[in-house]
Amino acid sequence: MPATPPTPRQAVVTGIGMVTPLGDSPAAVLAGIEAGRSAARAPSFDAAALLCPLAAPIDGFDPERHVDDVKSLRLMSRDAQLAVAAARMALADAGLEPRRPYAPEDIALYGATGLTGMPAEEVAALVRHSADPEGNLDLRRFGSVTLKRVRPVLSFRILANMPICFVSIAGSIRGANGIYTPWEGQGAHAIAAGIRAIEEGLAPCAVVGGCDVRTHEFAFVSLQQLGAFQSWADHGEGAVPGEGAAFLVLEEQSLAADREARVYATIPRHAIGTTSSKVPLADTLAGLVSAARPDGAARIVAAGDGDRPIRQAEADAIERAGLGAADTLYPKRHVGNLYAAAAAVQVALAAAMVERAGTGHAVLANCFGYGSQQGSFLLEAV
Amino acid sequence: MTRVVITGIGVVSPVGNGREEFWAHLAAGRSGIGPITLFDASEFPVRIGGEVRGLDFPALGRSFPAATACRDRKVLLGLAAAGEALLDARLSEARFERASLHVGVGLEMLHLEDLTPFAAVERISLAIAAQLPGALAGRLLQTPLDTTADLLGERYGFGGGRFTNCSACAAGAQSVGEAFHMVRAGRVELALAGATDSMLNPLGLGGFSLLRVLSARNDSPPQACRPFDASRQGTALGEGAAFLVLERLDHALARGARCYSELLGYGSSMDGFRVSDPEPGGRGAVRSMAAALADAGLSPGQIDCVNAHGTGTPKNDVVETLAIKDVLGDRAYEVPVHAVKSMTGHMIAASGAVEAAAAALTLHHRCVPPTINLDTPDPECDLDYVPGRAREFAGQTVLSNSFGFGGQNATLIFGRCS
Repeated sequence: MPATPPTPRQAVVTGIGMVTPLGDSPAAVLAGIEAGRSAARAPSFDAAALLCPLAAPIDGFDPERHVDDVKSLRLMSRDAQLAVAAARMALADAGLEPRRPYAPEDIALYGATGLTGMPAEEVAALVRHSADPEGNLDLRRFGSVTLKRVRPVLSFRILANMPICFVSIAGSIRGANGIYTPWEGQGAHAIAAGIRAIEEGLAPCAVVGGCDVRTHEFAFVSLQQLGAFQSWADHGEGAVPGEGAAFLVLEEQSLAADREARVYATIPRHAIGTTSSKVPLADTLAGLVSAARPDGAARIVAAGDGDRPIRQAEADAIERAGLGAADTLYPKRHVGNLYAAAAAVQVALAAAMVERAGTGHAVLANCFGYGSQQGSFLLEAV
Repeated sequence: MTRVVITGIGVVSPVGNGREEFWAHLAAGRSGIGPITLFDASEFPVRIGGEVRGLDFPALGRSFPAATACRDRKVLLGLAAAGEALLDARLSEARFERASLHVGVGLEMLHLEDLTPFAAVERISLAIAAQLPGALAGRLLQTPLDTTADLLGERYGFGGGRFTNCSACAAGAQSVGEAFHMVRAGRVELALAGATDSMLNPLGLGGFSLLRVLSARNDSPPQACRPFDASRQGTALGEGAAFLVLERLDHALARGARCYSELLGYGSSMDGFRVSDPEPGGRGAVRSMAAALADAGLSPGQIDCVNAHGTGTPKNDVVETLAIKDVLGDRAYEVPVHAVKSMTGHMIAASGAVEAAAAALTLHHRCVPPTINLDTPDPECDLDYVPGRAREFAGQTVLSNSFGFGGQNATLIFGRCS
């Protein structure tokens, strides 16, 4: 269970941007949580045949507000549009828009994207035009007829790396990079990669985050097949798929101080790890929490949502780490589960809470969710 | 600084399966491009590709029972290459706690045949949902891209994290590069890193055809992919996988491991230009190579060979040539620059990993594989591309480029083990 080794360079959070079903800033989301609001509601399609009856969509998102070249929107999936919006908000929040002290090649970019969201209507068209009279797939027909009807731009909207490439273009970010997929744990990997880039001196500044859109029917079918809705069947409650994006600007602490940047929090320690069928989930999560050494954390941004096994394992892990008395927030119960974007939302909320609480405060952000990869981040006030 | 060496290599590719066959055929200049046999592509505009042939899938299923139900070809290719790399490093029976796993992958595969029974239905997903859990006879609509990592992790552990990188054609090189940095920084003591991909399916081949990046020399498949040649039309789509075992030099020496090569540097960059085209001046590629040189602490004059991205597309080869000259200066004209894809085709996410394996073996065997099909050099591509025939190599370093669709670039630098 590797934790962060000591380093002379320290990553700090200086900018946050998010587009979520509960609001477009940490303050809005935290206010919504404190008011007990939830973005969960019946999805836009008939979900009667599915185990999960709820979704957490974003209302009124206007991508044209965030993209300079409106024509590029035809190449962008909704995931990419949300990612560009959140990343640009984060850069602006950090005071790095329109001018910045870093060259584009000195800013690193690490992001996470979710399962490919093939638009259901386009899938239907593909198979409809490729079926023989008996209803079987006719690949000759696919090659000679259907392909001519497919728009080449489809590739740009389904390739897993594209949302982050659009962030690079929109944000003029050209440095070290990496893109991970498809769950919350890989979102934690993206954040950890940005921290490592700063600690190891690869970049003085890193933009890290994730995006995901899990509110459409194709996503629901995939998630159900993968067992992500099992808690709904077993316990009558479970994860509520949502959509959104969140990005953070990380900077090397001394450089942020030099330019008198607003600093939300430092990230002195984090741990990433792996769950396995061979080890009880609570043991793994407890190891992660301990590895982040959250001794001073009075608050926890917990990963648990309606998925009962994960929530119970996390609660057990928190108790075993001696943090049972900590004030614990459960954002996913209000925002929905944003999967590849969830880790960035968790850490961003923790950073905002640290800044609000002030000197001496620390918040632990857990990024535990579906999939085998998990992460835990400790954020402290400067 | 901690030194990191490669102690195990596993490859499955269109030119051969297993490290030894792969290298023998690569050095012999044998093309792996042929007619598509995996599905009926007879009416597709492009009907050729680089298929992996002769892999023993039943044996693979015995090693990874959970994979027997998996229909995603890249998962199976990845398991085969990763298993060989661990066996080659004499670590196949190990279970790793302080080790990480880095897997580069492409795109989730969609099986059109699954959906055709629902062709007449307006809302296809809901029609499938109505039949869950038995819909598709229990087969997954999408195989998540972390499946290869999870199957390997379940068997071998990798408690230091299982990273699934989806940076398109740069994913393989990025996975190896990130693993290198993790080991060098002491975050893990050992890493298994590589990539796997297969886009040789109707949607993959069709999609790349639509983007007009594929060579349509359907009548002469082995000659289809022609990096740096004046008559090049595009690349050939391939499939494959490669994994490398990376470990600290002292760790490798302590257990008497064989060292193929040392990893010296890794750099990455983004074009930030357009998702559809490389930046015309090649500045993104320049930054990637420069970052790798800085990471390795080497000067351009210390690079002895370039393993080019070399796709055979009209734009890439000119831009990459410009970038190599920009970074290496006069040295660019003195070193061999070769393109593995002339033989394997473009294995998309897997390319960077397969080419990393080739770079390590170039140093190990003291031989630079050729660029085949380079009959009429493009005047704008005026470097020494090792046309047609392999060449003895006494150099100390190889620089390997991977440039991703969307504008991601990654460069690895390998050194001879001393």
